[in-house]
Amino acid sequence: MSSHREAPSIAKDPVADSTDAYAFVTPNSPGTVTIIANYLPAELPAGGPNFYEFGDDVLYEINIDNDRDGLAEITYQFTFTNAITNTTTFLYNTGPILSLDSPNWNRRQTYTVTRVDHRTGASSLVASGLTCPPCFVGRRSTPDYDSLAAAAVHSLPGGVQVFAGQRADAFFVDLGSIFDLGALRPFQSAHAVPIPLPGISNEGVDTLRHSNVHTIAIQVPIGSLTSDGTVPSDPMSAVSVLGIWTAASRQKGSVLDGQGGHTEAGPWVQVSRLGNPLFNEVIVAMDHKDHWNAVTPDQDSQFAQYVAQPELAKLLPVLYPNVFPNLKAYTKDRADLLAILLTGIPAGIVPGFQNSTGSVQADMLRLNVAIPPTSNPNRLGLVGGDAAGFPNGRRLMDDVVTIELRAIAGLTIPLVDPSFTPDAAASAIEDGTFNPTERIQLDAFPFIGPPHSGYRVPA
Amino acid sequence: MGEVSRRAFLASGSAGAVAIAGVASGGLGAIGLVAGEEGELTPAEIDAVAAPMMLHVRDAAAGEVEILFEDQSLVVTDKTLVAKVLRATR
Repeated sequence: MSSHREAPSIAKDPVADSTDAYAFVTPNSPGTVTIIANYLPAELPAGGPNFYEFGDDVLYEINIDNDRDGLAEITYQFTFTNAITNTTTFLYNTGPILSLDSPNWNRRQTYTVTRVDHRTGASSLVASGLTCPPCFVGRRSTPDYDSLAAAAVHSLPGGVQVFAGQRADAFFVDLGSIFDLGALRPFQSAHAVPIPLPGISNEGVDTLRHSNVHTIAIQVPIGSLTSDGTVPSDPMSAVSVLGIWTAASRQKGSVLDGQGGHTEAGPWVQVSRLGNPLFNEVIVAMDHKDHWNAVTPDQDSQFAQYVAQPELAKLLPVLYPNVFPNLKAYTKDRADLLAILLTGIPAGIVPGFQNSTGSVQADMLRLNVAIPPTSNPNRLGLVGGDAAGFPNGRRLMDDVVTIELRAIAGLTIPLVDPSFTPDAAASAIEDGTFNPTERIQLDAFPFIGPPHSGYRVPA
Repeated sequence: MGEVSRRAFLASGSAGAVAIAGVASGGLGAIGLVAGEEGELTPAEIDAVAAPMMLHVRDAAAGEVEILFEDQSLVVTDKTLVAKVLRATR
């Protein structure tokens, strides 16, 4: 998955597990950027009686690098507090939850938003006591879920909007097939390990189709994120590119008291982060994944070897014999992937576009905020001729699995090495899953769709 | 056992490291010892510690102890303290 349970340590700590990060110029408010940070992978909607929630001992962060050094200049921090309304019941709710102050809702969360300006060291409280919506228990408990979620969209000073709560996972992938020896169902007849095909569909199976996540979404005016406070209009200007990644941290010390309680102390230590989708998942070697989660993007040159010579690019010709002969013969470092994932695409590669952040190798989403949103998005983003999509930031509808599969398969090598001819399969490879529209709401913040109901799923 | 025996000890199996979890007064007592100050804590000093405190022996040979408190940490070097802590576990 994009970053669901992608490393050994964080797989044991779901509430701190960053699953996906999205950043795009807001379609219905192009003077702002929307950033979405998802956590808690693969929530089973019927998760009662203890429905999912953010960790009240976790520091969630959205980071913005606006001066090309792989370090955050601006961080939005989110911390959560739990409250139990009725200590005598085991139930999440004791009747229908019709409003966010319903006495029937027994376990609820509020949160605090803090903005840190790392250039000045100033930490400013943006808001506190903000309400999360409940989980989507079912039609009896949460009969008008959309109203509850809408009430949990908070408008804050400075033109900021925030939302934190359960949503449907917008990521889509055929996980069960891909991690079964790299099988892609549409092309499984060409796989090196044949299986009986009669009765086996070639359509991709979207593993996350019925899963929820917990979303932190923030919409911020562009001028409050750029290095000079402007709203850039020239895509070729360095100021127009923001590096963006999400993270989660825990305090360094934690002690169980043997009575069901626990105590934390010490500085916050990063346990999860996420920039480009699938970076830690399918590029970084298993032995280094936990370390990758612990460091900041400015230290990512130590992982560049995995990008320059990606393991998956070596596996494809083995798993699909005779399908990728040109890729198999290509032994140079992958300058295309190093640019896309670690430094951004410099000017002169794609006419009228760049999202370079200079020479520091850092895994971040790179969003050129001077590229306006489009009303006709292409799911393949820049590869499909749509400069408003991945790897220019990342939108909810971007098919990042297909984009990255094709890039790793060699489709983007000619951008930096015209002597290379991609294999025909490089422009066709995909896992056969498609983004279902119900998991995205195109017209309103937080844009990621409402969660699946515990009563109805799996349906 | 002495003062340190009233604290909870969590011994890890690696590199001889020992983590000590202390409640407020215990942690403050340890800091007093690290700082080389003598005598029992005053009530005002005890009251000043509002949050839990934890000590982590990072490097026994070097006498390095990391003190975790609030959202901060402080590393001090005190071979006497580390010796006392390690011997208390035997």
